Amino acid sequence: MTKLDDLLAYEVVEGLTEGQFTAEEYVISILKRIEEVEPKVHSFITLDTEGALSSAKIIDKKIREKEDIGQLAGVTVGIKDNISTQGIRTTCASKILENYVPTYDATVIRNLKENGAILLGKLNLDEFGMGSTTEYSRYHPTHNPWNLDYVPGGSSGGSGAAVAAGECTVALGSDTGGSIRCPSSFCSVVGLKPTYGRVSRSGLISYANSLEQIGPICRSVKDLIMMLNIISGKDAMDNTSIPSSPITVPNKSKKLNVAVIKELVTGSDQEVAKSVFSASEKFQEIGFSCEEVSIKNLHYALPSYYTLASAEASSNLARYDNIRYGFDYPIGEYNWDTYFSNVRENFGEEVKRRILIGSYVLSSGYYGKYYLKARRLRSLLRLELLTLFKKYDLLIGPTMPILPFKFGEKIDDPIKMYLVDVNTVIANLAGIPAISLPIGFSNGLPIGLQIMAAPFEEQKLIDASYELEKVIHIQRRPNSI
Amino acid sequence: MISKEDLEHLAQISRINLTENELEKFPKQLDKTIEYIDILEELASDDSVNLDLQELRFEELRMDEISMSDDKQLNKNITEDGFLRGPKMK
Amino acid sequence: MSMVMIGLEIHAQITALNSKLFCSCRGNYRELRPNSNICEICCGLPGSLPIINQKAIEYSTMTSIALGCKVPDKIMFYRKNYFYPDLPKNFQITQYNVYGISSIGIDGKYELDDAKQIRISRIQLEEDPGRIVYSEGGMNVRNTALIDYNRAGVALIEIVTEPDFTGPKEVRQFLNKLSLTLEHLGVCDTLLEGSVRCDVNVSMNGGNKVEIKNINSFKEVEKAINYEITRQSSVYNRNLNIQLETRHWDDKKKITFKARSKEEEHDYRYFPEPDIPVIVLGSDFVTNLKQRMPELPNQRFERFILKYKLSEHTSNILINDKKLADFFESTLKIHFSPTEIANILVTDFKSLIEDDTESTDYLKNLKVKPEHIAELVKLIEGNKISRITAKDILVKIFESGKLPSEVVNSSNSYKIADEKTIMDAVQSVFDTEKAAVEDAKKNREAINFLLGKVMKLTKGRADPKIAIRLINSKLSDPEKQ
Repeated sequence: MTKLDDLLAYEVVEGLTEGQFTAEEYVISILKRIEEVEPKVHSFITLDTEGALSSAKIIDKKIREKEDIGQLAGVTVGIKDNISTQGIRTTCASKILENYVPTYDATVIRNLKENGAILLGKLNLDEFGMGSTTEYSRYHPTHNPWNLDYVPGGSSGGSGAAVAAGECTVALGSDTGGSIRCPSSFCSVVGLKPTYGRVSRSGLISYANSLEQIGPICRSVKDLIMMLNIISGKDAMDNTSIPSSPITVPNKSKKLNVAVIKELVTGSDQEVAKSVFSASEKFQEIGFSCEEVSIKNLHYALPSYYTLASAEASSNLARYDNIRYGFDYPIGEYNWDTYFSNVRENFGEEVKRRILIGSYVLSSGYYGKYYLKARRLRSLLRLELLTLFKKYDLLIGPTMPILPFKFGEKIDDPIKMYLVDVNTVIANLAGIPAISLPIGFSNGLPIGLQIMAAPFEEQKLIDASYELEKVIHIQRRPNSI
Repeated sequence: MISKEDLEHLAQISRINLTENELEKFPKQLDKTIEYIDILEELASDDSVNLDLQELRFEELRMDEISMSDDKQLNKNITEDGFLRGPKMK
Repeated sequence: MSMVMIGLEIHAQITALNSKLFCSCRGNYRELRPNSNICEICCGLPGSLPIINQKAIEYSTMTSIALGCKVPDKIMFYRKNYFYPDLPKNFQITQYNVYGISSIGIDGKYELDDAKQIRISRIQLEEDPGRIVYSEGGMNVRNTALIDYNRAGVALIEIVTEPDFTGPKEVRQFLNKLSLTLEHLGVCDTLLEGSVRCDVNVSMNGGNKVEIKNINSFKEVEKAINYEITRQSSVYNRNLNIQLETRHWDDKKKITFKARSKEEEHDYRYFPEPDIPVIVLGSDFVTNLKQRMPELPNQRFERFILKYKLSEHTSNILINDKKLADFFESTLKIHFSPTEIANILVTDFKSLIEDDTESTDYLKNLKVKPEHIAELVKLIEGNKISRITAKDILVKIFESGKLPSEVVNSSNSYKIADEKTIMDAVQSVFDTEKAAVEDAKKNREAINFLLGKVMKLTKGRADPKIAIRLINSKLSDPEKQ
C-alpha cells in the first residue's frame, strides 16, 4: 500500500470511507512527514498540530457514528498565511501582523471546514503576497523541495513546497500576478488561478483586489477538481463574487482547439521552450489541434500589472497602523502621525517600494499617465483574448519563462524579479482562469505548462489537464527529501 | 527622476519611515520601475475603449437588516469603558 | 457694499437605515457602549470586504430626486485615501465625479421662498468615520485620543451646493427647507444628535474662499457665517488679505479659528473602489422610485389645498411642521372635517405644544391623540359645544388625556340649545343691563354686547344663534322686556 503521506486527496477520502485507516492515523503520518522535512523546506509559519489532531478525532467519531463526514473528510490542507483563519495567527509573512489573530474565518475556510477538511496550519509567502520567491517573507524563505538551494517560487511558495514535499495533502494559495502558478511550476505540482469572481475573496488579506483570487494547489488534477468545487461560489460577503457551475471529472475525451502563444515561448529559456513543444506534441497526439498565435499587447501587460497592483496595494495596506491589531509596539508618547510612520517602517523593502510606487501613480497629475492607461490596457488585452477564445478553446505557453533559480539571484534588482511574472500576469489582468501543470524537468528542476481559458471555462482547463496528466507522467514528489 | 525630496514626500504621504539604507538605494530602484512603466505612455488616450468594468444590479444588493456577531473584534489597547486608546493627536 | 458668496457642504446621516452602509451593524449607534457596534468590515480588519446596502441607494436617490438632480443609470464608488485614527481603513469609500459621473445625483436645483434657485452641484453616498473622544479638554490639548468605531461605516449623504447663497438668512431658509424635505422623505431625522454636519465656504468681494468645518448642527450654521463675515470684513478693513484656508467653528466660544494641517493634505489619490462593482440602477429606476417615494413638502402643500380645500396660510403652517401635518391627516381618517380640524390644530393646539418642538419625540408623548381632536370637532359640529367651550376643553384634555366627551360631561359644558334656559339667561341680562338694552334698540352693534353677557352668564354654553334670535325678538317686542 502507498505510504499514507503519499496519498492523493481523493484517495484519502476513499480510504477513510472504506475504513482502511483512521483520520488520526493519517494526520499523524502527515505530522511525521512535516517533522522530517520542515527543517529543510521551511514551508510553515504556523503549524497547528493540536487543532489538526482534534479535527481528525472529530471525523473519526463521525465515521464511527455513521454521520456525514463531508467531501474532503480527512484531507489535510495547508493555508497560505494571507487567508484569515479564526483563532489562528495570520501574519501575511509580515512583522506588522506578527500578533494578529483573526476573529473570523475566510469564506473558503468555512467551506473547507464544512466539508471535513483538516487545517494543518499557515504557509509561508512573500510579505503580503508581493514577490515570486518567498525571499521577501519577513520570517524565513522556503526552500524548493526538488533542490533546497533553489527558490520554490512565490508568492505562495510555502503552499507549493508543502504540497510537493508531502507536508499536506493539498494547499490553498492566492494568485495576484502568478502567485499560485509560479510555485506550482517551480515545485512540479498543479495549481489553478480561478476566473476572477469564482472564489470568494472574503477573508483574503488584500494585496491587489481587482486582480487576485484564492486557488488550490494539489498533486493531481482530480484533487484540484474536488478543492475547486468546495471553494467556488457566489458569496454574500463578497460583492465581486459570481455564481459558477461545478466542475466534473472528465469521463470521456473531448477534442479541444489549442493555441500556443508565440511571444511566451520565444521569451523563454531554451529548456523551457523545449518542454512546451513536447507538451504541444502530446496534445496533438491525444487529438487536440495545436496552432500558434500572437498577442499584440503583450509587452504592455507587465507594466500595467505593476501599475495597478502597486496602486491598489498602497491603499489596501494603509490600514496597517498597529492601532486596532498588529504587533508589539507601544504607543507611548508618540503623536498619531509619527506613530503610524514608525510602525510602518517595519514593512519589508519590497512592500515599501510597491506602496511608494502605488502612491506615486495615484498622485494627482499622474492618474491619467499610468493608472488610467493601465486600466485601458486591461480592457484591450481582455478583448484580444476573448476574441482568440472564440476560435480556440485554450491558450498555452510556459508558466515561467525560466527554470527555478537560486536564492539571491534576483533579489538585488526589482525589475529582474518582476520580469519573472511576465507570462502569468496576463490571466490576472484579463480575469481569466489559468492552470499550471507539471510537464518536465531540466537538470532536476521542474517546468510547468500554463493553460488559459475563457472566463468560467475552468472545465476546459480541467479536461485538457486531465488528459495531459494521463500521457505525461511527471513525478509529483521528490525522492531526495 | 525621483529626487530624495520626492522620495521623502512619497514616504510622508504613505506614512512610511525609510531607513538610511532605503533612502540611499530607493531613488534609483524606483526610477527604474517608473521607467519601466513609462512604456504605458505609448498607449493612446482612447476614450472610446470601454473600461470593461464588472457590474452588479440594484436588485442583487444586500437587504437593510441588522446582524451582529458576538465576537470581540478589538482586543488591543481597550480601556475600561470600551474605547480604543489611540496615540496623541498633537 | 460687500458681495458675499457662500456655498454649503452638508453631510446627513441616513438615519432611516437599520444597518450601516457596508455592513450589517446597527445604523443607530447612539448611546451604545463604545466599540460594541462593530464587525470586521466596519473596523477594517484584514480581509474584510464592503457589502453595499440596497436601501441606502434608494434613500440617496430619493434625496437626489427631491433636490432636482439628475440620477445616472450606473453609479460607482471611489476610495479617498488619507490617514487618520478615526478612519479604520485609512481610506473612506465615497463617490467622485472628476473621472466620470459616479455619484447618485448631479446638477440639481432647490428653490427658496423668493423663487431664488440654489444650484446643487452633486449628491453622493459615503461612509462616516468613527469618533475620537479626547481624554481631557479638546483636540488642541496634548492628550490621548480615545477612539470609538460604533459610528464608523454609517451611511452619509453628502450634498454640495454651488456658492449661490448671498447671506446667512438664505442659508438658514435653505437648511430649514432641506430638513423638512429630508423629514418628509424619511431619510434623515435632523433632530437626532450628530445626524447632520455642515461645512460652509465663505468668500467676500471675490476674495479667497475660507472653508469652515466642524459645524455640528444647522442652528450653528447661521452663527458661524455671521461671525466669519464679520471677521473677513474686519480683515479687509485693515487692508489685509484673506487667506485661502480651512477654519474650525468653536461652538463654545462662538468663533472660527485656523485649523490644523490635516486639511492641508489635499491629494487624496482617488481611484475606483475595486471591491464594489459598478451598480446598475437601470433606466426605469428613477421613474419607479418617483411613484413609490414619500410625498415632498410642496406636493403635500398642493394636495392639502386641492383635496382639503384649506387656505394657503393654513396649509403652510401644517406643511412646515410635518408631525403636525401627520397628526392632522390621522385625525381626518377618523373624522373627515378638514377645515375645522386644521383650524384647531394651527391655532389653539399649536400654541399648547409650542415649547416642545425641538424634541424628536415631539407629539409622540402627547396625551392628546387624533381621536381626541376628532371627537372635539364632532362635538362642535353636532352643536353640542360652542367653539369657545372647545378651547377650554382642549386645555383640559391636554393635561388629562381624557376624551372630550368625558370632560364635557363631568364639567357640564354642553351647549345649551334649550330655548327656555337661554331665554332665562337673556331675561336675566335684560334685567341687569337696562342701559345696554336701550342702546341696542337704536344701535344694532350693541346687540353683541348683550350677546356677550348672555354667553358669559351661560359660561359660553349658550347656542349663540338661538341667543341672538331671542335677544332680537325681545328687543323688538316691548311686551317681552
